Amino acid sequence: MQKAKLKIGIYELTGCAGDALLIVDCEDELVNIFKAADIESFLMAKSDNNDGPLDVALVEGSVSTERELKELLDIRKRSKVLVAIGICAGLGGIQANCLQAADWEDHFKKIYGNVEMSITKPLPPKPIDAYVKVDFYLPGCPIGREQFLSTFTRMINGNPPELSRFPVCMECKWNENDCLLNKNVLCLGPLTAAGCGSVCINYHLPCVGCWGPYEEANNTAEYKLLVEKGFSRSHIQNKMANFSGTKIADFFAQLKGEKK
Amino acid sequence: MKKISIEHLARVEGNGGVTATIDGNIVTDVKFIVNEGPRLIERLTIGKTPEEDVNLVPRICAICTLSHKYAAIRAMEKALDVKVPPKVTLLREFMHLGEMVESHSLHLFYLALPDYVGFPNAIAMASKFAFEVKIALEMKQFGNHIMKVMSGRTIHGENPVIGGFGKFPTRDELVWIKNRAIQFIPFVLKTVKLFAELDYPDVPEAETLYACCHPPHKKYGFAGDEIILSNGEIINAQAYKNLTNEFVVSHSYCKRSQYKGKPYSVGALARVNCLGERLEGEAQKMYKKYFNSRWTKNPLFNNAAQAMELLYAFERIPEVVNEAVQLPDPAIVPYKKKEGKGAGAVEAPRGTLFHYYEISQGLVSRSDLITPTAQNAEDIERYCAIAAQKLLDAGQENKIKDRMDLVVRSFDPCISCSVHMTQVKKASQDHWKEKLAELMTATAPVFVGMGTSEHSDDGAGLELASQLRRRGFKNVWLETELEDRTLADTNAGRPVIFLDAVDFGEAPGRITLIPLQTAAWNSVLSHRFLPLAAGRISLALMKNSFILGIQPASIQEGKKISEPVLQALEKILEHIKN
Repeated sequence: MQKAKLKIGIYELTGCAGDALLIVDCEDELVNIFKAADIESFLMAKSDNNDGPLDVALVEGSVSTERELKELLDIRKRSKVLVAIGICAGLGGIQANCLQAADWEDHFKKIYGNVEMSITKPLPPKPIDAYVKVDFYLPGCPIGREQFLSTFTRMINGNPPELSRFPVCMECKWNENDCLLNKNVLCLGPLTAAGCGSVCINYHLPCVGCWGPYEEANNTAEYKLLVEKGFSRSHIQNKMANFSGTKIADFFAQLKGEKK
Repeated sequence: MKKISIEHLARVEGNGGVTATIDGNIVTDVKFIVNEGPRLIERLTIGKTPEEDVNLVPRICAICTLSHKYAAIRAMEKALDVKVPPKVTLLREFMHLGEMVESHSLHLFYLALPDYVGFPNAIAMASKFAFEVKIALEMKQFGNHIMKVMSGRTIHGENPVIGGFGKFPTRDELVWIKNRAIQFIPFVLKTVKLFAELDYPDVPEAETLYACCHPPHKKYGFAGDEIILSNGEIINAQAYKNLTNEFVVSHSYCKRSQYKGKPYSVGALARVNCLGERLEGEAQKMYKKYFNSRWTKNPLFNNAAQAMELLYAFERIPEVVNEAVQLPDPAIVPYKKKEGKGAGAVEAPRGTLFHYYEISQGLVSRSDLITPTAQNAEDIERYCAIAAQKLLDAGQENKIKDRMDLVVRSFDPCISCSVHMTQVKKASQDHWKEKLAELMTATAPVFVGMGTSEHSDDGAGLELASQLRRRGFKNVWLETELEDRTLADTNAGRPVIFLDAVDFGEAPGRITLIPLQTAAWNSVLSHRFLPLAAGRISLALMKNSFILGIQPASIQEGKKISEPVLQALEKILEHIKN
C-alpha cells in the first residue's frame, strides 16, 4: 500500500523571502517536490492555500509584528514538526542585530517618525524559538539548495535533517583555498556554520558569516587573533554580529565581563 | 458598507494586501497595506563599513538582491570617488541582466500567466502549457546561472564588491552563456507575442507619469546617473528626493512617494514608455509592432513590457560577452577616502531603486533606501480604486477582488522589500462617524454646502450648511458663494468637507463619508465635484478633502426635504455637536 503523502506548509514571516525563493529556485526538482508531498500552503508559489493540520511546517523570517506572532502560534499548533529555515527564523536575522530593545524603538521612530500605525503593531525582531518550540534549524542566508533538498528528501522518508557539523573553514580547506586570515583579511570562516561550500573564499573574498554562528566555534580565540592582527574591537564585533541575530549576545556579554 | 480584502496576495514576493471599502455603489476607500514587519535596515547599516553595508543591504529582497547590491555599490563609489575599469561596468550590467531574466521570467510565467489562463499556479498550468512552463523554467534557470557565475550564488552572492569583483568569470563561462542566450531568442520572440497579445481588460485604464533611470549613450538599459520622466523631464540621481518625496502612511510599513503631489509608476512599463524608442534589433521591431496608447495608461501591460525587456536582455547578453572577453580582468580598485556622500540609482526588475549613503570616518553615518514598490504604492491604490469603481458601476461587484489581484500583481510588487494582498469590505452604517470625529478633532474643518433647494432632497447639503452656521460654526460656505480663492484663503491646512446629497444606492437617509480623491474615480461624483475643486483645491488639499454624503429619497422638483434625510441631518448635527 502506498504511504500517505506528507502535508507540508511553507510560510514567510518578515525577511527577504530568500529561503522561499530558494525553494522556487530548485527549478528541476520543483515539480517533484510538489508531487512527492502535499504542499498545503506556499504563498509565493500558489494561490490555493489551506490552513489545515500539517506534518511539517517550514517557517522563514523573524517575528516582527503581533500579527506574525499570532500566525506563528497558529502554525505551531497545526504542525507536528516545525523547521526554522534561514537565519531570520533561526537567529532573528540581520534585523535583530540591534541588541538592545530600547535601541530598536529609537530606530523605529527615526525611520517612521511618530506615526501611529493603524495596522498590526511592530515587535522588535526575534527568532521564532523566542515564542515556539522549533524542532530543526536550517542555517543560511539564504538556505542552501543541497541542504534543503537533502532535508526535504529525508523528511518525506521520516528521517530528521542531517546538517554539516563543522564550520565554513573546513569546506574552504576541501576547496584548497589560500587562507585569507594568513593574509590579514578579516574572515569569519572559522566561526560560521558550513553548508555554503565556502563560496566567498572560493571567489577570493572573506567569509561574512551569513550562515550564522557555528555552535561549537571558538569565538574567543578568533576574536583575540583578530585583535592581534590589528583590527579594531568595534569592527570585529560588528562583523561578528551582522548575521548572528540575537544569538551572539551571550558572547558579547562575556566579552564585556572580561574587559572589566 | 462592505470591504473586499485580498489579505494574503498569493504569488507575490512578500507580505501585503489591498482593501477596498464599498458603501452602496461607491468605492469609498482603497488601501494598499503592507504587513511585512519593519526591519529598519536604514538604521542598522549605520556604523558599519561600506563593505559591510554592501553585504547587508541585498538582504532587503531576495529577488532584487543584485539590484540592491548594484545600487549600493554605485552609491558608495560615488561617495568614495571610486572609478572602475570598463570591464567591471560591463560585467555589472551583465549580472544585472541575469537578474532581469530571472525575475521577469519568474513573474511572467509563474506569477502572472496563471491568472490569464485560469489556473491557480504554474505547476497546475503545466498540464495545458507544458512546453511554455518547461522553457520558462529553463529561462529562469539561465538567469539564475548568470547570477551565480557573476555573484557566487543565485541569492545573496557576495562577488560584486566596491571597486570591482572578487573573481571574474572565465572566457569559457562567458562564451557558454552567450551561446545559450542566442538559443533562447526564438522562444523569447514567442513570449513577447504571447504577452503582448493577451486579452488585457481595459477596466483599470488611466493616465499616469512614468519614471526610470536614464541610461547614457542614447541606449536602452537599467542604470544611469539621471532619472527620466515620461513627460520628458530629467532629474539628476543625486537629487532623487525631488522625485520621491517620501512620506509615511499609517496603514503600511512601506513608505510612499509622490512627484509634484501626484502618484507615479516605475517598472518595466515605465521603462518601455520612457525609453522604448531606444530599443534595437528584434526588440525594436516588436516595440514598433505592439506598442500603442493602451501601454501608456494600463498597468496590466507591464506584463507585455516585461516580455519586451526579456527580448532586450537576450539580445544584449551576447553583445556584452563579445566586448567583455576582449578586456583584461582588473584588480579591485582600492580607495582611501573616508568621508563623502552619494546616491546610486539602478532599475530593479520592478522599477527604480535608490540607495543613498553618507560616510564619515570610514563608516556609514546616514542611509536612505527607496524601493520601487514603495514608489508604486500610490499608483497601486489608485488603479485598484479605478478598477473597483468601474466594475461596481457596471454591476460586476463579484469581479472586483480578482481584478484588483490582477492589478496589484501586474506591478510585480516585491513586498518583502518592505511591504499578502486584496480585500473588498462593505462599510458599516456608522463608518462616517469615526472619520468625521477624527476630522473635527484635528483643526476645525471648512464646510461647503452643495446642491439646490429647488429639487427636494438635493437641498440637504445647503440645509446642513445653514444649520451649522446658525449654530455658530465658522468657515461654512455654500456652493454658490465660492469664489476661486475662497478655499485656498480660508483653508490653511484645514480639512474641507463637502456636504451633499449623494446617490450611492442605499436606503434614503444613509450617510457616507468619501475621500475626494476616491470620488475622482467615480463618474457621477467626479462630474459634480472635480470642476468645483479644479483650481480651487491644491493637490495636497485633495488628500484632506471629503464628501459627507446623504442618500436622498427623491430629487424631484420641490422644496420639501424628505423625512429620512431630515433625520440624517439631525444625526450629523448631533454627532458634530459631541
